[in-house]
Amino acid sequence: MRITCPFCGERELGEFTYLGDAKPVRPAPGASQDEVYDYVYLRDNVAGAMEENWYHGGGCRAWLRVTRNTLTHEISSVEPAAGAGARQVVK
Amino acid sequence: MAEFSWEARSPLERALVSEPYGVQGEAGVALTEIRNFDLVQVMARRGKASEMATAAKGHFGVAAPETPKAVRTADATLIWSGPDQFFVLSKGGRQSVKSLVPIFAASASLSDQSHARVLISISGDKARALLAKLSSIDLYPAAFPVGAVAATSMDHTSVTLWRGNDAPGGRAVFNVLVFATFAESLWQTMLDSGAEYGIEIGHSEELA
Amino acid sequence: MTSSQSNRLDTGGLIDRSQPLNFRFDGKTFSGFQGDTLASALVANGVKLVGRSFKYHRPRGILTAGSEEPNALVELRTGARREPNTKATTAELYEGLDAASQNRWPSLAFDVMSVNQLFAPIFVAGFYYKTFMWPAKFWEAIYEPAIRRAAGLGRAAGVADPDHYDKAWAHCDVLIAGSGPSGLAAAVAAGRTGARVILCEEDFALGGRLLSDGGTIDGMPAADWLSRTQAELAAMPDVRIMTRTTLFGVYDGGTYGAVERINDHLPSPPEHQVRQRLWRIVAKRCVVAAGALERPIVFAGNDTPGVMMASAMRTYIARYAAAPARRVALFTNNEDGWRTVGAALGAGLQVAAVIDARAEISAEHRSLASKGGFPVLHGSVSGIDGGKNGVRKISVSLTGGARAEVEADGLAVSGGWNPAVGLTSYHRGRPKWRDDIAAFVPDGAPPGMVAAGAANGAFGLGACLREGFAAGAAAARDAGHGSGSGATPVADDEAFSLAPLWHVAGKGKAFVDQQHDVTASDIELAQREGFESVEHLKRYTTLGMATDQGKTSNVAGLAIMAAVNGKSIPETGTTIYRPPYVPVAIGAFAGHHRDENFHATRLTPSHHWAAEQGAIFVDTGLWKRAQWYPRTGEKDWLESVTREVKAVRGGVGFCDVSTLGKIDVHGADAGAFLDRVYINTFSNLAVGKARYGLMLREDGIVYDDGTTSRLAEDHYFLTTTTAKAGLVMQHLEFCRQVLFPELDVQLTSVSDQWAQFSIAGPRTRDLLKEIVDPSEDLSNEGFPFMGAREVALRGGIRARLFRISFSGEMAFEISVPARYGEAMARNLMIAGKPFGVTPYGTEALGVMRIEKGHVAGPELSGTTTAADLGLGKMMSTKKDFIGRVMAGREALVAADRQVVVGIKPIDKARRLRSGAHIIPKGETPGPDNDQGYVTSVCFSPTSDQWIGLALVERGRERIGEIVHAHDPLRGEDYDVEICNPVFYDPDGGRQRG
Ligand SMILES: [Zn+2]
Repeated sequence: MRITCPFCGERELGEFTYLGDAKPVRPAPGASQDEVYDYVYLRDNVAGAMEENWYHGGGCRAWLRVTRNTLTHEISSVEPAAGAGARQVVK
Repeated sequence: MAEFSWEARSPLERALVSEPYGVQGEAGVALTEIRNFDLVQVMARRGKASEMATAAKGHFGVAAPETPKAVRTADATLIWSGPDQFFVLSKGGRQSVKSLVPIFAASASLSDQSHARVLISISGDKARALLAKLSSIDLYPAAFPVGAVAATSMDHTSVTLWRGNDAPGGRAVFNVLVFATFAESLWQTMLDSGAEYGIEIGHSEELA
Repeated sequence: MTSSQSNRLDTGGLIDRSQPLNFRFDGKTFSGFQGDTLASALVANGVKLVGRSFKYHRPRGILTAGSEEPNALVELRTGARREPNTKATTAELYEGLDAASQNRWPSLAFDVMSVNQLFAPIFVAGFYYKTFMWPAKFWEAIYEPAIRRAAGLGRAAGVADPDHYDKAWAHCDVLIAGSGPSGLAAAVAAGRTGARVILCEEDFALGGRLLSDGGTIDGMPAADWLSRTQAELAAMPDVRIMTRTTLFGVYDGGTYGAVERINDHLPSPPEHQVRQRLWRIVAKRCVVAAGALERPIVFAGNDTPGVMMASAMRTYIARYAAAPARRVALFTNNEDGWRTVGAALGAGLQVAAVIDARAEISAEHRSLASKGGFPVLHGSVSGIDGGKNGVRKISVSLTGGARAEVEADGLAVSGGWNPAVGLTSYHRGRPKWRDDIAAFVPDGAPPGMVAAGAANGAFGLGACLREGFAAGAAAARDAGHGSGSGATPVADDEAFSLAPLWHVAGKGKAFVDQQHDVTASDIELAQREGFESVEHLKRYTTLGMATDQGKTSNVAGLAIMAAVNGKSIPETGTTIYRPPYVPVAIGAFAGHHRDENFHATRLTPSHHWAAEQGAIFVDTGLWKRAQWYPRTGEKDWLESVTREVKAVRGGVGFCDVSTLGKIDVHGADAGAFLDRVYINTFSNLAVGKARYGLMLREDGIVYDDGTTSRLAEDHYFLTTTTAKAGLVMQHLEFCRQVLFPELDVQLTSVSDQWAQFSIAGPRTRDLLKEIVDPSEDLSNEGFPFMGAREVALRGGIRARLFRISFSGEMAFEISVPARYGEAMARNLMIAGKPFGVTPYGTEALGVMRIEKGHVAGPELSGTTTAADLGLGKMMSTKKDFIGRVMAGREALVAADRQVVVGIKPIDKARRLRSGAHIIPKGETPGPDNDQGYVTSVCFSPTSDQWIGLALVERGRERIGEIVHAHDPLRGEDYDVEICNPVFYDPDGGRQRG
């Protein structure tokens, strides 16, 4: 498999580390145990396009949000994580 | 009181033996360790990428690379190392972390990497053939021209690879910055991989 | 020379008669020529019997002339280079080649195991499943060794491979598999556009079937066109021709696997050269021009030596000038098989008869028969009279029911052609059936790939050239290149007519899969037993599961299956195709990663100094770390380690701890960031101070620990454990970029920038005073416990000094830029000489941390909470941090959790072992009363006995209780006392003093 890093260009799979589903959002401080439980454990078993977290650890060390089809491995988009590089992020 | 001497030793000092290696005859590859350099990582503070760029332009006279490129200044090479960050590589003492801190005080975080890396320069007719065994990057002349940079991996080890200025005669020169503690291991792999081409080995303080 | 080659034709062929080569087969010396394969040289020497079959030990000959060969498998070379299952049909002949046949004992001609044939009824489909079911213990002891000896596909060398292999990457616009007419036309078309082209050819020569079948292209003989085309390609700088290279797989994203047999055609690789190279090729487009494989017709005795594929027979005749037989018969169901008749007549061989299963043959062939003086029999071959010495007589069932016999010493068989659909089907593609050629053809292909020519079901020479040229041009265009110049090469298309015929009923064994000895009746039996799906059929009969992956057998097998199921072939379908297309040596996959280069290694800055001291090194992840420093006269490691511990506790020692992960954390929000990743607070840490920190995973379990110092308002220096260094960096980057992108934080690994040494023992300060500049205040007031700051060293360099202790002693850690690491070790020896300074390794480090009750890897096991480790009080209640909420889950705060305690054996002389289970005293060990286990043990020189740490249920409430340690792995049972985990200096006076 090859992933096109938005910073580095197209690279081979070996440079990347897979983390998993990029959809769950970490609950804000003060969230209930149930909400955090869902965030930590609850995952969709997607057959098709799925947003995933990948780390370009063997390259520029950016975290990426990769949309990959779990059936075909086709990658339709690769976006940098919100905080990759020095972009100002307002939260 | 005892006397202490502080001799800086390259991590390759023992592994590097300056004599021909592998197939005898005209060497297909030259491996040269570049010693005595300063290497400073400059990373923009959050939201300060343009300030960092301005500071770099002001200090170096050229813009720091914003894409995987290496650019030469009067006495340093600025090498892209990731989004909103770059290395300043210079001959030992020219652009030390101490001298750069004030330049980037308001815009970037600096980290001294002078001892964290080993710099190996690879040239010769078979340089690309050797690197094809270590690197998944396409080094075809048009795909990886002079000044191209890749933050990539060799032998499962992170490296910064870039193409320096061509050597006299037009031969391509590739530079590899590898983590110091991995350097001897990668060096041995390079020797192993390049033995079939014949290797000329040396070290120098001149950056290509 | 030729005189000894009884079946060598006097003229013709692409062999070099000026270069004779001697070789050995089963100990007998033969000769052949440069350009031969082992198979063609054996044919030239009249050798028909080349091996025994896998299950029945039936005599077998050469069936094909390519990598699809199921029978002619040999052990090539001898000694450490002996390689079993080498195909004689692809092994190039070299001077001194030494090969031996397989599956026979004691000799090929007299094989004791051929009695298996008498027991044939028990070797039917599902034989393994039916025979070796039980008792289970018989499997290892009796069945498996017996099967391996009787059946095994050749013998491995049994010693390390002396050759080297390597791996490389290549990149191109257009990758072409195969150099037959389609592949060459594709290469020319793509090359002319200026595209970067890689053409892989399995053979050592380009041309594919052109080398055997000739023809006319662009008005010139195929051989001339071939040399013109090769010259044109050679002149293109961006076209790379790779012969002896098999494209064996396609992977996601346009990545292809190929193996280049660089030196397999030599006795051994020249010095410094590798034997094979594994290529990972990244291609924008790929043209599969891998051709087609001729398929057999299944009939009784079809495995008799001398029965050969028709195309293979003319390859031996035309390309190698070697006659597989003197009097040849042909059994065909199609037009193409007749070419072999032409080749045989052209070479002056006799043609005994043509048995054609079709009702009609062309006028051209009728006149060929009458000119050649041989009969054309309409019907099928129903049996062979012959044996290990070859074919004698062929029984024919004529259309209409009559029988005939043909005397011949060789039978060429053609059942039609199967496009090589492997590569195009590797992404779970299913080929589609084409009735007009009675064959499966690609139905789509992985992204970027297209099949052309015979691989796509186009069997005419003209069609192959047209498809190949068009595919090459289109691939180059799709890869971003313009159109090229020059015209499509032109040739006529041969007539093609075929009457499908898969299996001729008859008496005797009719083999479908010759390598795995699967017969037509095995397939019928499997169907009767209910294995109707092709995937079940394959596994039950092992059809197509040998090293040839059923290249000559799969389609016939499923055609027979379809017939017995009463279904059509497309309804029956194919099994899943999987790479590799040909067997690839594990050595090629490993490349340089073997022996000392098995993985990359990391060396500490003082490594070579430690080696000089005679240190024993231990692999810790990728690192080599000094484990202990033996001295002359010490009888074992324990004596050395005990000395090192005593030297530290009684004086001073030092240890290279550079392997700890080190991360610069910069930025205005660095403190706030650390507050979120650690359970304790770092934003309130004073500049110049260090603090121990603990990280959790988001699920509440402990992740990592380490000391982090604040060097400036906006600069922390964080350390991790050795094992987790890379993972913690990844985790922190995740926190920075994904979870908390609003924070101003920058992270840089400085693990390799600093050589870090732990200096420990009551004389530490004395040693430091020698080496640190006298202006630096190292007193308890000037440099208190957990202080961290930069200091000047004598002789001019600067260092970072941290007053932290892992050993429980008065201790500092000192960091210098890594290139000074070796000098630092030497200087510590000089500075500490008056105080008996002792370098110590990771064992002594471990002993002292256990004595001090510090947790490490065995306790941070991925199952423990902060409270389990006795660090629950560190968890801040005033802030959010990773793992906070989940750490509060019921099960993670349960009162009966296993927590860290110390243990001591009741018998003071007893040695403890990690992994022993903790059971209540007096109870019989079982899963219900398993209350924990021993995590870390050491011989404690301070306590003069073995001590340990353990995770024990409600352990802290049970200090003083005697429990039972049960170690079924080593067969040990003994009692231990639960105690405080801090064995040494529990009030911490020594490290603070
Ligand atoms: Zn990247």
